[in-house]
Amino acid sequence: MELESLKYVWHSLEGKPAGGQSSEQEIIALLHKRSTGPVAKMRRNLLKELILIIATYIPTILLYLFDFEGKLSGIAWLFVLLLILFAGYFYRKNRLLKEMQCVSCRVRSNLERQVATLKKYTRFYTLAGTLMIPVMTIFCYLIIRWKFPLPPGSALFYRMGGTPWWQNPLLWMSVLAPLTIGIYYFNVWYVNKLYGRYIQKLQELLREMEGE
Amino acid sequence: MVLLLKPFYLQKPATQEEFVKLVQEHRPMLYKVCRLYCFSEHDRQDLFQEIIIQLWKSYPKFRGESKFSTWLYRIALNTAISDLRKQRRRITPIDPDHLPTQLQDMQYSKEQEEQLQQLYAAIEQLTEVERALVMLFLEDKSYDEMEEILGINQNNLRVKMNRIKEKLRKITKEAAYGIGKS
Repeated sequence: MELESLKYVWHSLEGKPAGGQSSEQEIIALLHKRSTGPVAKMRRNLLKELILIIATYIPTILLYLFDFEGKLSGIAWLFVLLLILFAGYFYRKNRLLKEMQCVSCRVRSNLERQVATLKKYTRFYTLAGTLMIPVMTIFCYLIIRWKFPLPPGSALFYRMGGTPWWQNPLLWMSVLAPLTIGIYYFNVWYVNKLYGRYIQKLQELLREMEGE
Repeated sequence: MVLLLKPFYLQKPATQEEFVKLVQEHRPMLYKVCRLYCFSEHDRQDLFQEIIIQLWKSYPKFRGESKFSTWLYRIALNTAISDLRKQRRRITPIDPDHLPTQLQDMQYSKEQEEQLQQLYAAIEQLTEVERALVMLFLEDKSYDEMEEILGINQNNLRVKMNRIKEKLRKITKEAAYGIGKS
């Protein structure tokens, strides 16, 4: 089979361009549909994640702010601080997703852009997912240290080095360190499971375009 | 500029009409891209929809710096190449009743149809980048235009094109002699 000889057959496929009212309506209907491309799906998942965080954090903040006669409002402010950190996390992720594709660019530069941005995205995903654990643990520690002091007259075995065991920073550290390391490796595995093959395929395409 | 800032659903109806008209004019080309990159009717419809959505999203940013067809090819090929969803690998034989409505009116001989079947079967064994090159070659695009669309330099394009032609020859030869068939 010679490609040159197929040009005629290929051009015969031009046929009659669609002209009827129905096909125009078909295109107009498509304009109102949602994109099912990988980046659009990632953006929708990010939005779901954001809604979930807001839906769980806002009632918690309101509970601590107005219940318990306002005695635990400090915890509510810690949650507000966490929510602000989350806002930064979502903003960064959304910006990276927006930058990820340039469909009207040359195919090669679009692939380069996708690979570079997706790598940044996964690095950020891993880092933020890992940091979230120590940050949350430190917040928990602060809340416990602040709001759960040693009850008066409690037994001696509750104490470790002069403080109740649940307030001992060494104990928290010994839990936190392996937990952070474990979460880091879990995140590396999870991010690779989600995007590893996609990045690999894009890199292969790019290598093919670059190589002679 | 105002148009650039407006979300797509607020764009003027005149722009939508103009867009639909342009898409209609280039619809066969879009079908060809879908045919080259998808093996089942369902996947083809999905890809066609995705290309139309991407074209519509990018349309307000089109300033005519390149030819409309170049811009269209870039978006269609970028969407097809980057769309790495799992394909339903059901290879459907070409049945005139299952062809997209706009392609049903086409008249071509049995021999031509056979050649096309062969071409499609061979193309399925090519990589995504190679398919893009075949498509542009068959569409009679110059190496200048190919470079403009794909971003691969012309020397490299020529080398690749020769290799693809050779590969296609080999694939069809093997298919004719039944090599590789179980």
